[in-house]
Amino acid sequence: MKLKKVSAIILATVLAAGTILTGCGGKDSSTTSDGKKNLSVFIFANDHESPIYKGMIEQWQKDHEDTVGNVDVQITTQDEYSKTLTGMMTAQKLPDIFYVGPESVQQFVENGYIENLQPLLDDQGISTDDLVAKEALNSYRYDGEKVGEGDLYALPKDASVFAYAYNKDLFDKEGIPYPDPENPYTYDEFVEVCKKFTKDTDGDGAIDQWGCGLANAFMIQQYIWSNGATFLSDDYKTVTIDTPEFKEAFQKYIDLTLKHEVTPTVEQDASLGVYQRWLAGQEAFYACGTWDVAAFMDKETFPFNWDLCAYPTLSTGKSMTWLGTVGFCVSANSKNKEEAARLVSYLCANEDGQKELSGVVGGQSIQLPNLASLAEGEFRTAIENGDLPFPSNVDVFFNYLSGNDKYEGRFQETTYTPNAEWFDVFVQNVDNVKNGSMTIDEFIEKYQPEMQEALDTAWESVE
Amino acid sequence: MSGGNTKPVKKKMNKAEFKEHCWGLTFVAPAFIGFCIFMAFPIAFAFIASLTKWNGMNNMMDNFVGLANYTKLLVDAKFWKVLGNTIIYMIGIPLGMIFGLLIAVAMNRKIRGIKVLRTLYYVPVVSSLVAVAILWMWVFNYDYGLLNSIVKAVSGAHGPNWLGDEFWVKVSMIIFMVWKGLGSSIILYLSGLQGIPRDYYEAAQIDGASGWNLFRYITVPLVSPVTFYLLITGLIGGFQVFVEVLVMVPTGGLNYSAATVVFYLYDKAFGSNQMGYGSAMAFLLAILIFIVTAINFKGQDKWVKTIE
Repeated sequence: MKLKKVSAIILATVLAAGTILTGCGGKDSSTTSDGKKNLSVFIFANDHESPIYKGMIEQWQKDHEDTVGNVDVQITTQDEYSKTLTGMMTAQKLPDIFYVGPESVQQFVENGYIENLQPLLDDQGISTDDLVAKEALNSYRYDGEKVGEGDLYALPKDASVFAYAYNKDLFDKEGIPYPDPENPYTYDEFVEVCKKFTKDTDGDGAIDQWGCGLANAFMIQQYIWSNGATFLSDDYKTVTIDTPEFKEAFQKYIDLTLKHEVTPTVEQDASLGVYQRWLAGQEAFYACGTWDVAAFMDKETFPFNWDLCAYPTLSTGKSMTWLGTVGFCVSANSKNKEEAARLVSYLCANEDGQKELSGVVGGQSIQLPNLASLAEGEFRTAIENGDLPFPSNVDVFFNYLSGNDKYEGRFQETTYTPNAEWFDVFVQNVDNVKNGSMTIDEFIEKYQPEMQEALDTAWESVE
Repeated sequence: MSGGNTKPVKKKMNKAEFKEHCWGLTFVAPAFIGFCIFMAFPIAFAFIASLTKWNGMNNMMDNFVGLANYTKLLVDAKFWKVLGNTIIYMIGIPLGMIFGLLIAVAMNRKIRGIKVLRTLYYVPVVSSLVAVAILWMWVFNYDYGLLNSIVKAVSGAHGPNWLGDEFWVKVSMIIFMVWKGLGSSIILYLSGLQGIPRDYYEAAQIDGASGWNLFRYITVPLVSPVTFYLLITGLIGGFQVFVEVLVMVPTGGLNYSAATVVFYLYDKAFGSNQMGYGSAMAFLLAILIFIVTAINFKGQDKWVKTIE
């Protein structure tokens, strides 16, 4: 009887303790047992970028073995990143290093999530003068009121360009001369070329090859901006999709699917996405971001010859596309800020690291080099003499990045608004026009007020 | 407890009873503490969050707005749309019950391979929801899916856009959900059927009842406890459909035609960072489920028969 009692007490205690202690946890893991600092990194990356970043971080950790213990790297997909990060923020379990986009800098700083890097960089004598994309770098500056000036709160991982690309093998097959990057196609020329590709190649009555595929979320700005229109007013507070320039550009975008029929239909897009169709060689034109280069040069992923070209131009005569950037920032609650700042500047500006990321070393290019000296020097020579597999029209990227009379790159308008909900309303409903169930005027009448409301709510949330 | 008395009399416990009382509490404590930490606290937290404009990052109490989220919700057209979608999906509940009962009746006899059949029907229930959702996503694929290939082979016409059309997507989701849950209805109905005494059937047959009459007047009423259970769990689960939509139609369908309440609230809370609004939706949903369940419990006296 006594044994039963004792066992019962022990069991109850264990159960109670187990339940209570489940919630607790998390010993201090910021240092190893011998005083070395541990760091945690959380980023998103595609399949080709992941091993390169992991390798770079491992190398850095080895080089700093005497002060740095473990660097825990967590990588997820871009789609899942912001939701997971939000979860980490609410749980107050932010990693030491994570990504911040220029559109979130103000909010993160005001809510005390990220550390001011300027003093840390100055103390360690790290300079940002050689960075090639000044606009991207400045988008991480904040002076307490405006983004773009003041201290640095993040260092750019890269400045990316979303250029256009074409499948050389398809061009050869149809006997069409390659697009000339010095002379971007006009919209009409582009339509004519696309029509030559759109056909039924296996005789089963269904079209299985198209001129191009259009992903609404990423490829509509190119048409809008090149026609001199914008989604928002200059102060980013009013939705301006009802201007004649916007409507004309929007119509031309839709016409590619409905009138000229050079793209897969909305249903066909649902069954196999336009990106997959490009990889399968079903489209002559598709987009290529600076991060896609390694994947497209990989014969297993994309077994065709290809090169970069420009998006078609509309009324302004300038080919336009959007630039992207994301920055490495350090958590304000990090216990190892100096080491974190050191790692961040290594990932952003260290020459060896940049050589590996741009492909000068290793031959896998996942971004343009951040350092101007590298971009104009070894990067170009490596491409010219074939050490670095890269499309020969690499200047398309640089043209969009720095801009000239035929090319211009801009940040997406969502970068300057507190959130992108107004744009989501637009993008999620474009298919209603693309499948013919709504005209553009009906679309604007229905969704412009919704977009404006979402935009107003967004601005209210930061005032 | 002593039986037969009218009202339990509150009397002071003696030492032995008090000790037993304490032991009882000790054993209940872990589960109760677990409940408090993982259920009661989050529910209370969510309720408070629903009264604010919390976006996950700002200070909750600085953004207190009272019932504004709830009033905004009641005039939100998208909310009513997703509520409508959720209720439409519940057509799957009676469908599942009917198919489940018919198959159970058919299986309720000594056939060869009955165990194999039962296992086959039950496999979908124990399969990972995400895994089978991905599978069915391909079955429903417009160009390359199994269903449209069959339609094309049989009729030559191209099948419907199962997941892209505003009407067909609902049909597809219902088909999927019925398929997934069929196994549990069958198993439960089988055990319910086996609890019906044979004498009832024999007696009725002697009186000249037809097969259909046997089914309608004996089988159906006597499995009503199972039906009741399936109805309640079906409704509670039906209001919370989420994973199926997230995996098969991640955008919520054309014009949000496939999205459910939980999907919309997930989108608002984690996609648009409107955690306060999402919490309000979750709370409203909880109240709705509670009301529906209460109505059903009250109503059971009318139609749920037990074998006495």
